[in-house]
Amino acid sequence: MHHSRLILKVCCLLTALAMSSVLQAQNIETFESPILAMTEIDLSQGQGLFQVHCARCHGMQGGGGEGPALSRPRLTHAPDDQALYAVISQGIPGTGMPATWAPRPRDLWKIAGYVRSLGRLADEAMPGDPVIGRAVYESKGNCASCHILNGKGKGVGPELSEVGLRRNADYLRQSITNPDADQPKLTTQSRGTINSFLTVRAVSEYGSFEGMRIYEDEFSVQMRDLNGRIYSFEKSALSSYERDFGHSLMPGYGVILEDTELDDVVSYLMSLKGDAR
Amino acid sequence: MSRYAFTGALLFLCTSTGFAATPYDQLLEDEANGADWLSYSGGYRSERFSALAQITPQNVSEMNVIWAYQMQATGLSGAGLQETTPLVAGEIMYLTESPSSVTALDTRTGNLLWHWRPDIADEVLNIGFPRINRGVALLDDSVFVATLDARLFALDAGTGAVRWETQVADNAVGFSLTLAPLALDGKIIVGVSGAEAGVRGFIDAYDSTSGELLWRTYTVPAPGEPGSDTWQGDAWQTGGGSTWLTGSFDPQLNTLYWTTGNPAPDWNGDLRPGDNLFTCAVLALDPDTGAMKWYFQYTPHDTHDWDANQIPVLVDGMFNGRERKLLALANRNAFYYLLDRESGEYLLGEPYSYQTWAEGIDANGRPIVLPNTEPTREGNLVWPSLQGATNWFSPSYNRNTGQFFVPNRRMGAVYYKADAEYVPGTPFLGGGEQVLDGDNATGAIVALDVMTGRQQWEFELQTPPWSGVMATAGGVVFGSSNEGIFFALDAATGNPVWNFNTGAHIRTNPMGFAVDDQQRVAIIGGRTLFVFGLE
Repeated sequence: MHHSRLILKVCCLLTALAMSSVLQAQNIETFESPILAMTEIDLSQGQGLFQVHCARCHGMQGGGGEGPALSRPRLTHAPDDQALYAVISQGIPGTGMPATWAPRPRDLWKIAGYVRSLGRLADEAMPGDPVIGRAVYESKGNCASCHILNGKGKGVGPELSEVGLRRNADYLRQSITNPDADQPKLTTQSRGTINSFLTVRAVSEYGSFEGMRIYEDEFSVQMRDLNGRIYSFEKSALSSYERDFGHSLMPGYGVILEDTELDDVVSYLMSLKGDAR
Repeated sequence: MSRYAFTGALLFLCTSTGFAATPYDQLLEDEANGADWLSYSGGYRSERFSALAQITPQNVSEMNVIWAYQMQATGLSGAGLQETTPLVAGEIMYLTESPSSVTALDTRTGNLLWHWRPDIADEVLNIGFPRINRGVALLDDSVFVATLDARLFALDAGTGAVRWETQVADNAVGFSLTLAPLALDGKIIVGVSGAEAGVRGFIDAYDSTSGELLWRTYTVPAPGEPGSDTWQGDAWQTGGGSTWLTGSFDPQLNTLYWTTGNPAPDWNGDLRPGDNLFTCAVLALDPDTGAMKWYFQYTPHDTHDWDANQIPVLVDGMFNGRERKLLALANRNAFYYLLDRESGEYLLGEPYSYQTWAEGIDANGRPIVLPNTEPTREGNLVWPSLQGATNWFSPSYNRNTGQFFVPNRRMGAVYYKADAEYVPGTPFLGGGEQVLDGDNATGAIVALDVMTGRQQWEFELQTPPWSGVMATAGGVVFGSSNEGIFFALDAATGNPVWNFNTGAHIRTNPMGFAVDDQQRVAIIGGRTLFVFGLE
């Protein structure tokens, strides 16, 4: 006990930078993320700090911009809260992410808390039965003909093993019934947030091709068709090239599935949180 | 004798006879001398034009990589982005590697001659910009580099040994240096970054042999000084107006032209009522004293972070039937401007990119600002985004054809206003933005008539670029894209005639030089410098 009190006193005298080292050192025994104990006021203050320090690149709501979107449950460089704190305080080498020069570690932790809150979806009530939904997914829905889920299926559309972490019920229902309304985005450092399943059509001397854009630059475009085949075209060799922003190659399932079946599939997708891996 | 043995002999011979010296007289001739590239923009007029004509639209498709150089890891966090323009003097290329190292390479082979790395603490402040550097200056037998922690060094051009160093400003309050210094006759000119930390900007001149400060001109006036009536209270003390991009110089007029950045805080103008002189402006200075001859403010009371830190290009020619000495600048605010560089008189202001903030520019050069275009608490959509319709990366001017080439960003943003409290060494922003990105944003290389600002052609880019252009006497314009493609356009038509995938984001300016009378073109993609030629 005496030893602990001494550590506490020393901590109070340390500079802001040293405090982060102490917080990291705690990990050797047990680390309890300060984010766990944060109040709404802390998170609100974190939001204010975020808007000053981070929004310039990541957007005022964390939706991305010059920097990637942060409204995701799993951040590439920050698998846990300590890593998130390190990214915020020290930046990411080799990228555009600089260190954040907030004056105090507790302010940096509030930013981290707010960033985590962006990716945390509220627990929603499921509208149906996920077990029945799974059966519909695997039979009538024939979803595996285009989606990989827990390693099974065909990789044409988005991978779905963790879709329940990223999407709420309304978004999932819209994606199933009206896929044209929105498509998943991909964030790249140089390009910002782009539609990663954009429908493109190309006509070359070999015929007409339709698929989803994989990559595109000034001179070429790469796409994947519904059979999973990948094509690469020189734009100068195409007689026409079209980007169809309001159209998804996924069919709308509103006419295929009954309302209760829709509720069940939505519930099944909500339950997918990567646990099977 | 093999090629390499010959190179070695030549290096030894030249080193022993004062190799790599760059006298002021040579800097005066930089534009006409296509073999070298002795200053950041390829000459005091900042044309970024290669006088070499060997590579043409007809033969550029035969261009290949001659050599490549992989930049070195520094171990410093966040220091992987490269925005340097290499310089070439004789047989040696000098470039910086982020954040502030200097590298000397053999121009024939790309082999390393020396590398110098300053000791920079990982805690160094860089508020509002990445840990980058844009290059060195050369004068006599020294190489000059400005560092992220706000120092200026003179290095021996032959070995990289330090001749002198000086602390330009205090990094602890947010000052930083990322620009390539400008060498004049016996002087080294530098400017500072730091408006996002609420610094008070200035331009400095240092004695090139001793490092002694010769003069300092602040870009934000203190009470009682000219322009101080455009500030209220103490706002001038944290007023911004940083000077982070290399300027231009007219030796005949003995005038230095230097641009200034945004007022601070960036997006909350309520905290600094008034025009906020001399932010978002170009200043004409006497290089001997630093005294201001005239100024022109492009964006009075800026609230969109539209620094005027773009390259001021010196142009001579007939404007409205009269031979004039002009200053051309494609501004971040989406307007192209012509000024008389003797008097500072405003002559022309034409939009070169989509914008939604101004009805136009009035007869005095003042923007006619549209209502409801300010940042708000709720957010307000305005074109262009804070990164502007262009930015620091260089335009290019071909005086033979009167064409002015601009890398153009076509992107809007929702601008937000927020509170701002000045705390030294921390961001002082007062808001932010949410850009319309991805497929909502594009870019282009545009060719303008230098005297009218009218567009002649455009080459569309997939995304808003972050890299410069260089035109050549051979009728080619070299440019790059975010997707990592280095390309050549036919200057007459804008048609692409060659491209090469460097494999990484390009955020530098192209430059050109010659080796044994063979034209070379250089660009950096990611951390790799590529040198191309017709072999």
